[in-house]
Amino acid sequence: MFENVIDGIFSAVFLAAILRVTTPILLPSLGALISEKAGVLNIGLEGMMLSSAFTGVVVSAYSQDWFGAETGLTIGPWLGLLLGVCVSLLLSFVLALFHLDLKGDLFLSGIALNIFGSSATVAIMFELTGDRGNTSTLASLQMPFIQLPEFINQIPIIGGFLFGVFDNQSVMTWVAFIAVFFVTFFLYRTPFGMHLRAVGENPEAAASVGINVKRIRYLALLISGFFAGLGGIHMSMGYLQLFQRDMTAGRGFIALVTPSLGGGTPAGAMIASSIFGFFDALGIRIGSLEIPSQLPQSIPYFATVLALVIYALQRRISQRVSEMRTASGAAFDAAFWRSIQRVSILHMLLMMVAVIGVVTGASILAAPNGFGGADGAVPIGLLIGALSIALFLISLPFVRDIFKIQQRWKASLAVTVVSLGIYLTLFLALFFEPILALVIGLLAAGAIWLIIGGRVLMRAD
Amino acid sequence: MTSLRTNLLLIVGGLAGILVTLFITNTMFDGSMEKMTGTPTWQNILLVNVLVGACILLFVVELRRQAIRVLLTVIVALILGFIVTFVFNLDAADRFASGEFRAQVVSDAEPVANDDVDLEYNKRRGGHFNKPNVVAPVSEIAWTFAGSEGDVVSLLAYAKNRRSEVDVLVELRDDSGAVLASATSATMTQVDETFDDLVSTKDAVIEGYELPADGVYTLYSRPEEIETSTTLSEAMRQSQLAFEALLLGPIERVNRWGVWIQDAITLILLGLSFAIVFRAQQFSLGAEGQLYFGALVSGIIALNSPHIPGILLIPFIILASGTAGFIYGLIPGALKAYLGANELVSTLMLNVIATRFFEMVLNFQLKPPDAGYVASSKFTENAILPVIVEKTQVTIGVFVVVVVIFICWLLIRRTPLGYEIRIIGSNLKFADYGGVNSRRTVMLVMAISGIVAGLAGMHLATGIHRQLILNISFALAFEGVVVALLARLNVLVVPFTGLLYAYLRAGAQFMERDANVSFEVVRMIQAIIILLITAEALVTFFQQRQKRADIDESGHAVAAVEGSDV
Repeated sequence: MFENVIDGIFSAVFLAAILRVTTPILLPSLGALISEKAGVLNIGLEGMMLSSAFTGVVVSAYSQDWFGAETGLTIGPWLGLLLGVCVSLLLSFVLALFHLDLKGDLFLSGIALNIFGSSATVAIMFELTGDRGNTSTLASLQMPFIQLPEFINQIPIIGGFLFGVFDNQSVMTWVAFIAVFFVTFFLYRTPFGMHLRAVGENPEAAASVGINVKRIRYLALLISGFFAGLGGIHMSMGYLQLFQRDMTAGRGFIALVTPSLGGGTPAGAMIASSIFGFFDALGIRIGSLEIPSQLPQSIPYFATVLALVIYALQRRISQRVSEMRTASGAAFDAAFWRSIQRVSILHMLLMMVAVIGVVTGASILAAPNGFGGADGAVPIGLLIGALSIALFLISLPFVRDIFKIQQRWKASLAVTVVSLGIYLTLFLALFFEPILALVIGLLAAGAIWLIIGGRVLMRAD
Repeated sequence: MTSLRTNLLLIVGGLAGILVTLFITNTMFDGSMEKMTGTPTWQNILLVNVLVGACILLFVVELRRQAIRVLLTVIVALILGFIVTFVFNLDAADRFASGEFRAQVVSDAEPVANDDVDLEYNKRRGGHFNKPNVVAPVSEIAWTFAGSEGDVVSLLAYAKNRRSEVDVLVELRDDSGAVLASATSATMTQVDETFDDLVSTKDAVIEGYELPADGVYTLYSRPEEIETSTTLSEAMRQSQLAFEALLLGPIERVNRWGVWIQDAITLILLGLSFAIVFRAQQFSLGAEGQLYFGALVSGIIALNSPHIPGILLIPFIILASGTAGFIYGLIPGALKAYLGANELVSTLMLNVIATRFFEMVLNFQLKPPDAGYVASSKFTENAILPVIVEKTQVTIGVFVVVVVIFICWLLIRRTPLGYEIRIIGSNLKFADYGGVNSRRTVMLVMAISGIVAGLAGMHLATGIHRQLILNISFALAFEGVVVALLARLNVLVVPFTGLLYAYLRAGAQFMERDANVSFEVVRMIQAIIILLITAEALVTFFQQRQKRADIDESGHAVAAVEGSDV
């Protein structure tokens, strides 16, 4: 059972699934990135996605009535895309109007738009179909899927894999990943992008050199609405072929974090979105195991919280290091501190895995019936919980104070070998004998520590 | 001067409170004293209504001139909601174009034998005009019948029964297709006396037509064209019906009134939770998750202690659910205070996690094995909040809320922690300079708001549902945002706004039931309220115009000093 899941993860099908579920996070992420760069974070992405998703479905379904079945099938999806994005733009215009002109609070206006998007779609859906769950009675259409030319499949070695990953993806997936390049170009290579970043960093300074701050922010919100609209269209006309009540399920909020996790660049946002896509796809995949479906379903949300924490910790450490850099001047050893930072990230990740372990243990204890009965599950839950708490505690000092990594590098090495070693062993035990897995796991953990930055620490001592 | 003003406010607020109390009580019991005293536990109903009046007094005294703005916002949002309802009801007149119908040729003459025709004298035939969700709906019929010269026939086309509201016309055509006679309606006499089958005067009758020659004739019928005026007046009528249900529905009967009050208790608790945390400028939306944990903990305790007397168990449940909310609020609080993690995102994620956890425990642990749907078993009597008004679920939760409001007021206005919360809310940097431990305060304020949200979960579980069910909050938590915002984050005004909003929500349920307008319209009204209430410039825009008018009148500037409440 478990082996099936592991095999499934290392396959082209799984990668293709990641691309598919990443798209509706990546598109609004780009929107969030642009609005954040202009200093007006768009909280209303979720509501905009819902409205465009719903509009797309309704327009594509009715276009078959308006233009006849055949013409409707070809232009329906595109008309749905156009009008869906228009609705999303309209909502972002309302947000901009209320925030920039009527001085409303950006957060609360955004929340209002989310409530509006969620309720208006359901209310209109009820009017049109008499159903308030989904639009399955409407014959809605999907955006076209792009078929790769057959010769790619013929390329030796990697051809089959590439074909498996990229064939038959929705056109919106391609749009999303291509848009990353356009947004990068737009932000860093055009005057407008430059102005936009200037407005976000220091609106007073930007205004003093003659940049129209309000106009730039209006446009930034509209652009973010545009991307949210595209994301919504993918939800209902690519990912699924119908509209469900509140179908975005928090993706608009996840998209608010990915830009910061990705270091504030479009490419970083893409990587962060893909990580969420991975967890999303993973959640779907391990849904086939005999455990409560709620546990894998909450994985992306856990990942968001943990990512927020790592990001915040990391930002603090960077600040610390840059303070020391200014303090010590030329004597500052940049390479050494970079290694320290990398090792600290490793410790944070280990701690996060421990947190997931604690939660898993707690879930098993709270609902042993879901894990095959109290007799077997309770000891396992206790074991996982206790082990995870122990691993959490031994990593804690190194995360709280990075100078400990410098002072006590031997302890840092030991902690990494023990905790990372245990995780790797558990994973490797699926493929090898337990003893062999333990040896490989411990050795690999030590090697990872050395490669990431331990050797610099050892040399410095 | 100030004391005069305060006294005036007290009088205005008191009068408004007394009037509303009297109005509600009067409407509930149709103004009859006997009906009131005949109702069991009527004293408690009266008590709760007096409390409602007291909330209005607090609202007026606390918000002063801003109270007008809050009321105006609600009224504007209601008007916009009415327009939305009107637009949704533009298809109300469509029911006249669709429905089951019958057609018949009535005659005393001898029927002509002819197998090729559709109708025979005095035989009914029917169908369904414009049936929804059908591939090829029937939009018109042309049925033939054979007649001989001199036959006196009456052609009828009518709705099948009272449920079908289709409005039809009927025409008599000869075999060349020329229209010989037509009709769109029937007279009262025809409906009541001549033809038994007819339902209303909307049915169409051609009475006593003498056929000119032998041959095959056609009975043609279709729904009448709907005129624009009919469409508009129907939409108006439906919308009025809907808003009547929305605005008066909740105080029509005692059980409906109970729906309002029980909903208000939860909403006031949630509103308090948001008011406290927003006060410190923390945009934490974690109430939903805290509510789920509060409900879960109280449910687990209730299900596991069937023999402990209620007088001990209920306080324990209240304490435990508050603690659960506290702990679940502490997590995002600590993340925000000590790590700087964005509280908006972290609380939203924690909400989903809490919901999933609740579902998992409910589904795999608390659900009785033989249950057909996912829910725990019903709580035993000792674990349910005692009901104070019969035939409703208005419980001692009313008193719990009063106590919680008082404690929140003490906390915000009369304790050092409350002072720190207000300082942080007005200026974080200033608070740091002033020696406030802002990290500790931020963490605590999020945890304390969690307590109140946990209590809301307790009330949902042990007061309203009396068991744990999936989706126990029904996204109620976000409604708390509106309640807190409408109250301008003032804990003493939250009771009024909570009652107001619960009134709209209860009204929406009856609107959906009575007038078939979706409940979500009220959530749209809610979104409009938030937008309008946060748009500060809307006020200054009007105030500036006012100021300009003042300047014009007196010739010198009048400094407008707004009484701001901290």
